Amino acid sequence: MVQKFSYNWLCDYLAEPKPSVEAISEALTKHAFEVEGIEGEGDNAVIELKILPDRGSDCLCHRGIARELSTILNTEMQNDPLEAMVSLAPTSSIAVTIEDVDACPRFTASIVRGVKVGPSPEWLQKRLQAIGVRSINNIVDATNYVMFDMGQPLHAYDAGKFPQKDGVWNFVVRKATAGEQVSLLAEGGKTEDRIVTLRGGELLIVDGASNTAVGLAGVKGGRFAGVDDATTDIIIEAAHFEPGLTRRTARGLGIVIDASKRFENEPSRDLPPLAQQNIVDVIIKIAGGEPGGLLDVYENKKTPPPVEVHPRNVQALLGIEISTSAMVSILKRGGITVDEQGDVLICTGPIARTDLNIEADFIEEVGRVYGYHHVVSVVPEAVPLTEWNTRFMYCEEVRNALVALGFTEIITTTFRNQDEIGLQSSMASDKCFLRSELTSSLQDALTRNAPFTDLLGTRDTRLFEIGTVFTRENGVVAEHYSLALGVRLKTTGYSGKEDALLTEVIAQLETALGMKLPFVSREGVAELNLTDVIAALPPKHQYETVAQSADVTYSSFSIYPSITRDIALWVPEGTDVATVTNTIREAAGPLCVRLTHLDTFTKEGRTSLAFRLVFQSKQKTLAANEVDTPMGVVYDAASKAGFEVR
Amino acid sequence: MTGSGHKHPMAQMIAEINQIFAERGFVFAEGPEAETEQYNFDRLNIKKDHPARDMQDTFWLRSEDVSEPTVLRTQTSPVQVRFMESHTPPMRMICPGKVFRNEATDATHEAQFHQLEGLYIDRGVHMGHLKGTIEYFFSKFFSGEVEVRFRPSFFPFVEPGLEVDMMLKGGDSKLANRWIEVMGAGMIHPNVLQGAGIDPTQFSGFAFGVGIDRLAVMKYGIDDIRHMYSGDARFVNQF
Repeated sequence: MVQKFSYNWLCDYLAEPKPSVEAISEALTKHAFEVEGIEGEGDNAVIELKILPDRGSDCLCHRGIARELSTILNTEMQNDPLEAMVSLAPTSSIAVTIEDVDACPRFTASIVRGVKVGPSPEWLQKRLQAIGVRSINNIVDATNYVMFDMGQPLHAYDAGKFPQKDGVWNFVVRKATAGEQVSLLAEGGKTEDRIVTLRGGELLIVDGASNTAVGLAGVKGGRFAGVDDATTDIIIEAAHFEPGLTRRTARGLGIVIDASKRFENEPSRDLPPLAQQNIVDVIIKIAGGEPGGLLDVYENKKTPPPVEVHPRNVQALLGIEISTSAMVSILKRGGITVDEQGDVLICTGPIARTDLNIEADFIEEVGRVYGYHHVVSVVPEAVPLTEWNTRFMYCEEVRNALVALGFTEIITTTFRNQDEIGLQSSMASDKCFLRSELTSSLQDALTRNAPFTDLLGTRDTRLFEIGTVFTRENGVVAEHYSLALGVRLKTTGYSGKEDALLTEVIAQLETALGMKLPFVSREGVAELNLTDVIAALPPKHQYETVAQSADVTYSSFSIYPSITRDIALWVPEGTDVATVTNTIREAAGPLCVRLTHLDTFTKEGRTSLAFRLVFQSKQKTLAANEVDTPMGVVYDAASKAGFEVR
Repeated sequence: MTGSGHKHPMAQMIAEINQIFAERGFVFAEGPEAETEQYNFDRLNIKKDHPARDMQDTFWLRSEDVSEPTVLRTQTSPVQVRFMESHTPPMRMICPGKVFRNEATDATHEAQFHQLEGLYIDRGVHMGHLKGTIEYFFSKFFSGEVEVRFRPSFFPFVEPGLEVDMMLKGGDSKLANRWIEVMGAGMIHPNVLQGAGIDPTQFSGFAFGVGIDRLAVMKYGIDDIRHMYSGDARFVNQF
């Protein structure tokens, strides 16, 4: 996940002297996350980071990245909101009924009375804008600010519009029934709210007094009791929802917003009251008002587990010599509690780190913070092979035999727009099925490649493919390797004379493999089940030596058609073919992409040399008359050199 | 005019890769391209409804064609799991093969491409062995001196997870003398070892994975990986 971070926001938490943007970028790249980009400079810089999936729990917020930086740079973290005291008084004006504490382990709600809704102060607008979040009003902005600050999503309601029963606001958190509807706030770029009909089982936030679904828990809220300019009293909700359920619901509806992304990544269950304290402080600062109390129902506790970490395992897995005291120091820098008990370190992650659960997690912490540049290369000693891949060896044998017979190997798409085995969903309409044969794509390839014979300097077109095909057997998908080979003699299509050549090729393959090959041929293409063939052949126990490929550098080729011209010249006896070739090549100019010496014959003391010139442009389709000019130059050059054009 | 034909560069690279690893005792293993959800995800410690599944857009086969949920493998890692299950340590293997991603295609992304994954499991295998093996492979494959560096990363089936950058030292190739992000790797997650019947308190191992198409781009200077699968002799005949 890519997330933007404001440099000066990070600096709120970093010790003096503040590290430069460059220092931050380098520290994170080497020890934590990839930097996708940096916009702006100095205090206004915005750093875009690719947060790894296991750290979506604690690092999709400024506090998390600042904590990470303090660990890496070995500096003190300042003003950590996770170490703040929650001083909000308990309230009995709000109640919550949680039907399933696995789906909603914790639910908090707080009240702020007497706020004045209006635009946010400039510093807040700027910070949100810097990370790509639109400013709405000071209350909504405060919820976003705290989310990007601490990683806890929050939602604000207008308390005045929220019905009360016996003076109490009642929340219910329950699973939806099938067919139940909920109205969700208009999505980005849309004006209409979205009415969603639920499958059942999604988690809903419900107003207990009116039994109205007010939002999809963790995914998206509705317009119910929305904050507007007239709002004076607010209720703020901050909860923890089961990540998998949140993700299924969000993905099922195609909703991926900042809040749902955070809930999906299992943020700490300790966050909600801390986020409540933070947001109440922020709101009072920017919108006035006074705290009206906090409801905190936490019935399903989970905290980072204590884990036995053996220093010898740390060294053994990382291959790094590092003392136990150095390990302990690194772990403690990351906020990890380390209890040294003899040879064992009992490590417990800080509350924000829901990802530190096994010994290897802590070994990774030591390794990456200490620095992977300390790892020293050791090439494992050579040991003899114990198994050989017979399938691969016979495929190589087939390849080598066909290449020797002038065949070019191709690899084509596994996908079809129609065939036996289908796919549930595909990005493209031509990728809805899997191929059951190679013949059709080989026929297509022959048709497409047949016009290139002059360009490629080949007499005809010979192609083969070895690849997996998929069929239905006993009702379910089965796969095997297939071999298809094909020949095309004419650019105009199958001529009928290809099959004789194919029969000859197959006979040679049969000799090479020492068995009869049950090819099925059709119009110059033959295919067979190679897996079956190989199964009948003896296993192999020795790889052939592979010649390293020549130092090939690919050059991009023109997509435009080529034009062919032949020329025959009488040359004085004893004239070197290379000399004539050079004369022609120089004269023909850059549009001549291939020059082939076709034949030589001598008659009555004179020698005739025939050449084929292929012209092609990288920019356009050449017209015949555009080739006349270079050909004219070729004729002139030939005459000048004393050759006579036949 | 008719000379020798041409082997596809993918087949050539796989043969070279096998030769390099075979010299160090790495077995060339393989497995099905249509793979069960179990092997493609679950046994690789990629849990259902976990954000890690977003890393790979998946082609799912229709339920009427399969006896259990099945995908076109998004990685060759299921071959590693099958190998771990059917062998006992020490073990060394590679599994080059075709993989699939359900995503839009462009010059650097194809819905089908090839991966090379490998593993080494024994007593006392550590990150230094991983670094040494990767350097050994690249220096042979690119015929030059190669240096490798690690950065933190995350893949569910390894812990710690690593991003591997390589630098081809010396020479005047466009790719020489600078760091290039080239593969993912790490030390095999204890859950994956355990799941395959290998005791993680006795054995450790590394695993790595690299796109072979990406290696082709580096080795041959190919500008558009779609050429690999276009069935165009104007491309293949250059090799």
